[in-house]
Amino acid sequence: MLAFACAAAAAAPPYALAGREAPDFALRAALGPTLRLSEHRGEVVVLSFWGSHCGPCGAQLAALNRSLKTYESAGLTVLGVGVDDDAVRSKEFAAAQPVTFPLLLDPKKAVARLYRVDNLPMTLLIDRGGTVRFVHRDYDARSDALYLDELRKLLNE
Amino acid sequence: MRKGLILLGLAAALAAGTVLARQPPEKLPATRIRDLHYGDVLFYFYQEDDFEAITRLNAYEHWGLLPHHEAESQLLLGGLYLSLGLHNEAGARFETLLTPTVPTGVRNRAWFYLAKIWYARGYLDKAEHAIRQVQGALPPELDAEKQHLFANILMRQGRFDEAVQLLLHWKGPLDWMAYAQFNLGVALVREGKLAEADPFLTQVGTLKTTRAELLALKDRANLALGFAYLQSNQPAKAKPVLERVRLNGPYSNKALLGAGWAEAALGDYSQALSPWMELRNRNLLDAAVQESYLSVPYAFGKLNASAQAAEYYESAVKSFDDESAKLDEAIGRIRSGHMLDALLTSEKDTHYGWFWQLTTLPDAPESRYLYAVLAGHDFQEGLKNYRDLAYMGRTLDRWGDSIEAFGDMVDTREKAYAQRLPRADALLASDSLTDKQHRRDEMTSRLNTIESGAEVAALGSPQEREQWAQIQKLEAALAGASDNEENAALRDRLRLVKGVLYFRLNAAFKGRLWQERRTVRDLDAALAEAQIRWIRVEKARKSAPTSTGDFAQRIASLRQRIDALQARLASVREKQNGYLADLAVRELEAQKDRLATYQIQARYALASMYDRAANPPEGKP
Amino acid sequence: MRFLTLAAALAVLASPTWAQDAVAQPPAATPAVAPAAAPAAPATDTRGLDQEVQDLKKDVVDLNRDLFVLEEDLLFPANTQVAVFVSLDVGDFFALDSVELKIDQKEVANYLYTPREAEALLKGGVHRLYLGNLKVGSHELVALFSGKGPNERDYQRGATLKFDKGIGAKYLELKINDRQRKQQPEFEIKDWE
Repeated sequence: MLAFACAAAAAAPPYALAGREAPDFALRAALGPTLRLSEHRGEVVVLSFWGSHCGPCGAQLAALNRSLKTYESAGLTVLGVGVDDDAVRSKEFAAAQPVTFPLLLDPKKAVARLYRVDNLPMTLLIDRGGTVRFVHRDYDARSDALYLDELRKLLNE
Repeated sequence: MRKGLILLGLAAALAAGTVLARQPPEKLPATRIRDLHYGDVLFYFYQEDDFEAITRLNAYEHWGLLPHHEAESQLLLGGLYLSLGLHNEAGARFETLLTPTVPTGVRNRAWFYLAKIWYARGYLDKAEHAIRQVQGALPPELDAEKQHLFANILMRQGRFDEAVQLLLHWKGPLDWMAYAQFNLGVALVREGKLAEADPFLTQVGTLKTTRAELLALKDRANLALGFAYLQSNQPAKAKPVLERVRLNGPYSNKALLGAGWAEAALGDYSQALSPWMELRNRNLLDAAVQESYLSVPYAFGKLNASAQAAEYYESAVKSFDDESAKLDEAIGRIRSGHMLDALLTSEKDTHYGWFWQLTTLPDAPESRYLYAVLAGHDFQEGLKNYRDLAYMGRTLDRWGDSIEAFGDMVDTREKAYAQRLPRADALLASDSLTDKQHRRDEMTSRLNTIESGAEVAALGSPQEREQWAQIQKLEAALAGASDNEENAALRDRLRLVKGVLYFRLNAAFKGRLWQERRTVRDLDAALAEAQIRWIRVEKARKSAPTSTGDFAQRIASLRQRIDALQARLASVREKQNGYLADLAVRELEAQKDRLATYQIQARYALASMYDRAANPPEGKP
Repeated sequence: MRFLTLAAALAVLASPTWAQDAVAQPPAATPAVAPAAAPAAPATDTRGLDQEVQDLKKDVVDLNRDLFVLEEDLLFPANTQVAVFVSLDVGDFFALDSVELKIDQKEVANYLYTPREAEALLKGGVHRLYLGNLKVGSHELVALFSGKGPNERDYQRGATLKFDKGIGAKYLELKINDRQRKQQPEFEIKDWE
C-alpha cells in the first residue's frame, strides 16, 4: 500500500526513477480529454501528484500554474495527477482548482505506483527527451526558486 | 531633387518543392486495410509520428507482413523519407513504382513526387520530364501543386511565356494559383517586365480572402508591385498599390516607408512625413523604421525646417549608436554559446529555452532580432534537422537501455539451455519412447491374436488362469491314464470343473477384451502426446545453440551501431548548432552593417547641415 | 491545410529582403550606395553538413528498424506470437474511450485512448493493442470497449472468442463497427487464420 504523508519528508531516500525514462501512461482528466504522457515528448513536462486531503497541494498547483503562464511559450507542459481513494472528492477538488493545466485522475493509483509516489505533493520535472531529472517531495514557498532554476535549465536544452 | 533609390530585394523564395504536404496516404482505389500491420503503420502516420511509422513500415516489410499493400507502402515510405529530407531514399522508393504493373494513380503520384525531389535538387530538366509523365489528373490538391511546381520549373528556366500560359489555363484550387501568380509576378519584375507583372501581382493583391496565409501573400504582392513602381519612377502608380497593404500586418512598416517615398517622389514632402513619422515611432529594430530615422529629417530638410532636421539627425545618430552596442553584445553572446541570454534580458527575469523551441516569440523588444533570423529558409531547414536529430538521439537512448535488457535475457536463456541441454540430450538418446511404442504394438497384436483365437483363458484373472493351467495339467495327466472307473470319475469331474470355469471365462471375455482395448487406446493418446513433446524437444534442441548464438551476435552488433551513431549524432548536432549560430550571427552582423551605413549618412548629413549653417554659400556649390 | 501553411511560410519568408535595400540618400552629395547583396547561403559548407545529416538520418532509420525487428524476434517469436488489433469503422459520431482485453481470464491490456489516437483510428488506422506469447492450444479472449456516441451517450460492449493457437503467429482483430445498426457501434472479433 502506498503511504501518504503530507508533512515534509525527512532525509528523503534517493528517488528510484531519477535519471531514468519517465514511464508512459494515459489517464482520464477531471475535465477534458484523456491524456497520454508520450504525446508531450519534446516539451518539458512537470508532473505533480496531488490528493484532495493534502493541504499544501493546492498551493503547489497554484505555483505551477504561475510558472506555466510564464514559460508555456517556451515549451512547458504541466500535468497534475490526482491520487485519491474517493473519486468524488477527487473530482470536486480538481474542479475547485483555479489552474489552466489538465488535472488527471488516477483512482486505481496505477500511475502513482509506477512513479513510486511516497509523499504528497510530489512534483517531477521531466526533460524534453522523457527523462526524469528533478523531483520535489512536498512543497513550500522556498522551493519555488529552486524549481524555477531547474525549469529554466531544462527549457534551455 | 534626389530621389531615394530603393532597390527592392525581391528574393521571392519560390514555394519550396521539398515540402511534403500532410496529405492522407494516397486514397488509392481500395484503401481498405487488407493487412492488419499496414493499418498499424497508418495509426502512427495519422498521429504524425513519422519516425515510428517509418520504423514499423520497414520492419513489417522485412517480415513480409504487407503483401496486399506493396504499392501503397512504397508510396507512403517515399513520402515519409521525403519529409525527413532523405531525398535519395525517397527517390529510390518512388522509382520502384514506375512499372506498368503499378496502377496509374500510384504511378502518377510517384512521378509527381520525383518531380518535386529533382526540382529541389536543381535538376530542372528531369523535373520537367517527370511532370510530363503524369497522365490524367491527380486529386485536385496535388494537381494544383503540380501546376504550381511546373510553373516554378518554367520560371527558373526563364520560360516566362509558357508560365504565363500555364497560369491563364489554370484548373482547380486557387490557393496554389495565387502563389504561382505571385512568383511569376516577382520573376517578371526581376526581368524588368513590370507591365507584364502588374496583372498577376494585382490579382493577388486584390484577392478576397480572410485566410491568414493568403492575406500575407496579398500584402507581399502589393508591396512587391508598389516598390517595383517606385523603382521605375512611377510613384503615382505606386501609391494606391501600397495603400492596399494592411496597416498592422507584417509588411506594414515597409509599406509605410514606400508610401512616404511615393509622396516624396511626387514632390510632396509634407505628405511624406505622415507615414514616416508614424513609422519612426515603431520599433527601431526594423529596417524600415531605421530608414525612417533618416528619411524624416531628410523631409524636414526638403521643407527647409533645418532645426528640426538637425534634431532628428542627432536623435538618429544616438539611437543607432545604442542599437549597435546592443547588437555587439548579442553577437558576442552568440559566439560564446549563450545565444539567448543576451537577446532576452530585460527588466523581467525571463530566461527562455533555445529560441528555436519557441512556437511564439516572447513579447520582448529584443526578440525582433529573432524574427528575421527565424524567417530564413536555411535556418528553418537547419532547425528541422536539429530537431530531427535530437529526436533520433532520444530514441537511440531508449534503445540503449532496452538492448541491455535484451542482452541479459539472452544470457539467461543461454544459461538455462546450458542446464537443460544435457537432460534433453539424455532423454533423446534413450529409447524410452520407441521402447514404449514397441510394447504398445506388441500388446495390440497379442490382443488381436487372443480375439481371433477366442482365447478366453488368456484374459482371465490370475486365479482363473492358475486354475485353468492346473486343469490343463490334470487333463494332460489323465490323458495317458488307464480307463478304469476311478479315472473315469476323475475325468468327469474335471470336465465339469473345466466347463464351469470355461463358462465363466467366456461370459466375461467380451467385457474384458473391451477393457483391454480401452487401456491400449488410453495408452495411444498418452503416446501421441509424448510423441509431440518429443518432436518439440528435438526441434528445440536442434535450434537451441544457434538461436541464442544468433541473438547474441545480433545484439552485440546492434549495440555497437547504437554507440557509433550516438557519437555521430552528438557531433553532427554540435555542427548543426554551430551552423545555426553562424546564421544568426551573420544576420545580426548584416543588421549592424546596415546601421553603420545609416549612421555614417546621418553624421554626414548633420555635418553638411552644420557646415552650411556655419558657412552660408555665396552661390550654388 | 497544414501544407499550405508551411508552403506559405516558405513562400513568404524570403531571406531578409531589407538587407538588399540600398539606403535612402539624404541631400548631401554622396552618390547612391549600391546595396550589399544579402550574403549567399554558405554553399560548400552547408552541402557538406547537409549531406552528413542526411547520411546520419538514414543510418539511424535503418538501425531503428533492426532494433525493432530484434526486439520482436526475441520477445515474441513467430511461433508463439499472438497479436490483437483494434479497428474502428464507424462515423465520427463515436469517440472511443477505452478497450480492455482478457486472455484466459487474465487481464492483458487496458488501454485509454487520447483524442489524437481515437482520431487516427477513425481515419482508418489500426491499433496493435497487445502483443504476447501463447502456448499451442485452445484459448479464450474476452474484450470490452467503451466510448461516447451521439448525444454524449455512453456505450459499452463486450465480445468473446475461443480460438486455437497453432504453430505460427496468430492475429486477432477487434472490430468496432456500426454496420448492423447505424450509429450504434458493436463489437466483432475476427480471427485472421
